[in-house]
Amino acid sequence: MALTRFGYASLQVMDVDAAARHYVDIVGLRETDRVDGKVYLQAKDNQDHHCIILNPSDSAGLESIGFKVNDPADLDNAAAAAEAAGANVTRIAANEIAGQGEGVQITLPSTHLLTLYYHADKIGYACGMENPDPVGSTETGGKVNHLDHCLISAENPAEVTEFLVKVLDFGQSERAMDPGGNMMISFLFCGNTMHDLALGPGPNGHLHHLAFMVDDRGDVVRGVDLLKEKGVPTFDYGLSRHGIGGVQTVYFHDPSGNRNEFFSGAYVTPGIPDRVPPITWTMDHLTRGAFYYENAVPETFFDETT
Amino acid sequence: MSLKHRGIVQLGYVRIGLNDSRLTKSREFYSDTLGLLETQVSPGRACFRCWHEPQQFSLVIDETPENGLIEVGFQVRDDEDLDQIQARVEATGIPVTRCPADTPLAGLGASISFVIPGGQTLRLFAENRILGYPTGHDSPDWNTPRQLRGTPAPLFINHVAITTPDPAATINFLKEVLEFRLSEILTKDDGSTPLAGLLFRMSKDVGGQEISVFPGDAGRLHHIAFTKEDASDILTDGQYLREDGVNIDIYGPTRQSFGKTFSLHFFDPMGVRLELCSGGRVTENHPEFEPVRWTESNLNKALSFYDNKLNDSFLAASL
Repeated sequence: MALTRFGYASLQVMDVDAAARHYVDIVGLRETDRVDGKVYLQAKDNQDHHCIILNPSDSAGLESIGFKVNDPADLDNAAAAAEAAGANVTRIAANEIAGQGEGVQITLPSTHLLTLYYHADKIGYACGMENPDPVGSTETGGKVNHLDHCLISAENPAEVTEFLVKVLDFGQSERAMDPGGNMMISFLFCGNTMHDLALGPGPNGHLHHLAFMVDDRGDVVRGVDLLKEKGVPTFDYGLSRHGIGGVQTVYFHDPSGNRNEFFSGAYVTPGIPDRVPPITWTMDHLTRGAFYYENAVPETFFDETT
Repeated sequence: MSLKHRGIVQLGYVRIGLNDSRLTKSREFYSDTLGLLETQVSPGRACFRCWHEPQQFSLVIDETPENGLIEVGFQVRDDEDLDQIQARVEATGIPVTRCPADTPLAGLGASISFVIPGGQTLRLFAENRILGYPTGHDSPDWNTPRQLRGTPAPLFINHVAITTPDPAATINFLKEVLEFRLSEILTKDDGSTPLAGLLFRMSKDVGGQEISVFPGDAGRLHHIAFTKEDASDILTDGQYLREDGVNIDIYGPTRQSFGKTFSLHFFDPMGVRLELCSGGRVTENHPEFEPVRWTESNLNKALSFYDNKLNDSFLAASL
């Protein structure tokens, strides 16, 4: 069958406890496990064991990203297809990553590690699974439903896009092309959402940002208030809107410098590749595409990756 | 073998029949009051889409002697899916009708149709003509088109709700034969008999369902829901609808605990119940995905987190 969703990001952080406090008190996740010095966290409206893994490290960055598949046979099939496309593939045993069944780890052309897995232990929604009050919680942090997507950087976004479309059945919703006709930014989905995985220009193997979804534009606004009140460093423009996708957004950083985003928006894609021609952004419109109100893109926006 | 999404990938359209002479009232309501884009009109038929939708229609209204739900269209990946699903449906003893392209609707590819246990007709197709996004494909402004501003102008069709005297049989069919999954289910207090269910096929961020099943008359429509960006929009939409004299359900804007959507239900001039919704359960097309479970004695809270009294009329079919 196929990929279902972006499942988790495994992050390198310099201070695990400081990072855990950030993802709980600011982002609004739940800490769900601590194993071998690693901290596992999950959003309030996701029923799986984790969406973030914090790994102690001497530098910030992305260890791997995880996507779930909906058939156990997908693991072998994906491994074979990835190897046939020239990618390195390794196996991960059940519980090698806490709360997770066996998986396969594919090295993308951009050197990022992409882990596919079928099973995740269930922890349920924060509000409970039986006759729940439908509000996750109003206690701490942002009103985040789930980890929605990530943007990773690549020297050749087109090459990675081709791999993901061909091998893993991603579709492309939007893209930005440079004047030479090269794909500069690529937004890819594996469900009916705008993007699960996006690629931008920059060094191979790096993370640009992780995006956490909130229900409402108002929740993004209150998210910025929270970030400012708590002294969390944000992107220069604070609250903005991406012209690309038409979503409300604010960027900020965890204590190690990994970039996060609160965003909201409704955008439905057809779920499969090639049904609808992608939206194409050209460079002369990219300022509006990136930051719709400000109509400008600071250099730091693409340069800062971890 | 590379991976592939298979089977139903999206809710395509809802097609209803209304006894509305020349569809005058309906065309005025869906264009001017609700804010859909009329894409085709021919004698006895009007087709609409939402402003964020690339395909030619998501709502089809036929002029008919009696009001009623005609069919619900779901999109599959390709014709191979049509063959496989036809075989699975026929294996349950339900006959399947095959139609060539452009039949019964122009611009629709080859399709199969069948009547599900609840009495509604489903039509599955791989192609529905792509007109392109109304705001364009080149560096677009993703804003509500100017001519629709001041109306709700929903972004997408979100889900369709149907009624049946035997919700368990319909839910079971949708799950077992068409591979839908439950995001929420309401049962009798002992957990035994399903009374209502919200079902989805794909991983989606808004609405948490593509088809929902409520107890009631066979073959009928409960409501059609459309996607909005967020709750505060829906509050404003309620103002516009009130100003246009639209009949709004007594629940008014509310958090619908059953599905976690922020919702407003109202009626078109012919009495068809419609919904604007935002938020909702984040779904995942995975066999291990677990639904939220509700019991009948919590029905009031399930239908509205904000209202103190159960609105019995909400459970009735509308078409």
